[in-house]
Amino acid sequence: MREQHKNITGKNSGSSSALSDVIIQTKHVDKYFYDPEKFKVLSDINIQLKRAEFCSIMGASGSGKSTLLYLLSTLDTDYEGEIWIDDTNLKTLSKNQLAELRNERIGFVFQFHYLLPEFTVLENVKLPALKLARYSDAEIEQKALEKLDILGLRDQALKRANKLSGGQQQRVAIARALINDPEIIFGDEPTGNLDSKNAQMVTGILKELKQELKQTILVVTHDNNFAASTERIIVFKDGEVVEDKYNS
Amino acid sequence: MFKKLAKQNPTFRIALTHLLGKRRQTLVAMLGVTFGIAVFIFQAGLIMGFQTTFIDRTINTTANIRLFNEADKNRRSLVEEFDTAASHWTVVYSQKPKEVEPKIKNASYIIHDIERNPDVAGVSPFLAAQVIFRSGITQKAGHADGVDVRSEDKLFDMKQYMKEGDLLKLETMSNAIILGSGLAADLGAKINDNITVVSQKGVSLSLKVVGIHESGLTEIDKVRAYVKINTAQKLLNTDANYITDINIKLRNIDKAEELAKDFQRKYNCKSEDWKQANANIFGIFKVQNMVTYLVIISILIVSGFGIFNIQMMIIYEKMGDIAILKAIGYKDRDIKKIFLTESIVIGITGGLLGLLLGYIVSVIIGSIPINVNGFISVNHLTFNRDPILFVLAFVFGIIATSIAGYLPARKAAKVDPVDIIRGK
Repeated sequence: MREQHKNITGKNSGSSSALSDVIIQTKHVDKYFYDPEKFKVLSDINIQLKRAEFCSIMGASGSGKSTLLYLLSTLDTDYEGEIWIDDTNLKTLSKNQLAELRNERIGFVFQFHYLLPEFTVLENVKLPALKLARYSDAEIEQKALEKLDILGLRDQALKRANKLSGGQQQRVAIARALINDPEIIFGDEPTGNLDSKNAQMVTGILKELKQELKQTILVVTHDNNFAASTERIIVFKDGEVVEDKYNS
Repeated sequence: MFKKLAKQNPTFRIALTHLLGKRRQTLVAMLGVTFGIAVFIFQAGLIMGFQTTFIDRTINTTANIRLFNEADKNRRSLVEEFDTAASHWTVVYSQKPKEVEPKIKNASYIIHDIERNPDVAGVSPFLAAQVIFRSGITQKAGHADGVDVRSEDKLFDMKQYMKEGDLLKLETMSNAIILGSGLAADLGAKINDNITVVSQKGVSLSLKVVGIHESGLTEIDKVRAYVKINTAQKLLNTDANYITDINIKLRNIDKAEELAKDFQRKYNCKSEDWKQANANIFGIFKVQNMVTYLVIISILIVSGFGIFNIQMMIIYEKMGDIAILKAIGYKDRDIKKIFLTESIVIGITGGLLGLLLGYIVSVIIGSIPINVNGFISVNHLTFNRDPILFVLAFVFGIIATSIAGYLPARKAAKVDPVDIIRGK
């Protein structure tokens, strides 16, 4: 799948470089909630995210920003309109294909870390790579240790995940999101549960990643400081994009 | 190997972690399976062992094939026979069977002929007399079986079932009798006592008890005595050729049905094989087996609920794990595999323990001496420990646990990660 994707983008970059720059694109996306009654959460969303862009989405609670994130991340498949990642319309993929796509090309950081508490830090980081099964166990372990090193957690690798502090756990979650070198990282208020010191640390890490690994990062946040450190801010209100600006 | 599997295969590792995280509940679910399988081994082994014992005893004490003669009860009346015109019909009320002696004609020739058949292990002539046994003022109804001791012993291994006394004295002494153990007890008769035997024909003989015989089949031991053939003939007031039955033992009892039909045709008499003779017992066995299977199935259902229960608990507790695994690319079938693996691990370990427990319990119970005097008399319980039984029990156990584990596993696979992650 990845090979195919490379081929097509390689071809595209010759003829129309503008298209290959865009990694995520939504076309007239509408989304409804049906419980307790039918309610339009998102209305006519048209967004383009460029490769290696570091973007934050802001807005009040219930404005639909998280909903959009889960649509883009392929976890939620119930919407109208089209979402494209590169040249693939997500609607054309089966559930299993979506799972493969997430495994290979998407990394997640949520507000809560969602580490498996009985597993060691190292094992938690390895989980997505074991699923991908592209490398041998030894190689995966090596890569996992590298990622933990980047996040300053190498010495914690063999501890059980539930023995770590909140900030450390969130950093482990970031390492887990990076293990398969995904092109896109989605964050749902990744600093929401952290104190300001840890929040700053996580913000700094994400910025570094963007610069060093050229990953596309899209983060939903309430944190103004965090948003200010990103390249682009999209603001939501009542299910619509009301502002879309680039930080200078 | 276990460790390596766990390292290579994250789903297996996660499954094991879930089980170890809930040690007590896992143990309870496992013991449920263990108990179910153990009862399976014990109960089925006991019932099958009992049935085998019973069949063995029955085969040892009754003939594989019995030839006899019987009055034709549905004989057409003479009027019907001669008045065959279709224009009218006649009715004869209260027609009695024609008096036919239940004697086998040409018995000595038939015996001689059957003895030469290669399928036949032994032949013994037989003559039963309905009699009343008297000892002092005690009376018991029963039957005195006239037998040829040597051939009867060859057929039914009478020596093995002699409780007291000497079998061969029946042949050497005139006026000797061997009593069934229950009959002897009812009469209060001991070896060397004289008892009086009175037949239907009014003949009364005084016979000396030379032995006590115990077949182990209680109902039979209460009414049967053995005498020499000519004693029985005296009791029935008949001539020296009078034989009512010919008992045949075969080398292979499965041929009984087929050979019984052959003999019936060939010697112009009635025949009965051992299965027909014990048809009511086999009917009881069928009911017994059904009850056994019902008990086993209900126990397996209960242990299935145990597994269902623990699985649902784990799933509710591990919703977050399921959600994140799905988010990082684990497919629905991977999730299903995790929870099915858990059930099957419980099933396999519980099942193996159950096989062991069932075997041990059956060995222990089987070695305790007990005296049962019911349907059959035994001094210890016999168990069937056929390997097939163990395989069957294990397979049933795995099927039950897989079914019980499948429903929760499917539920886990259907968990929507967005609901869980956004709900936190």
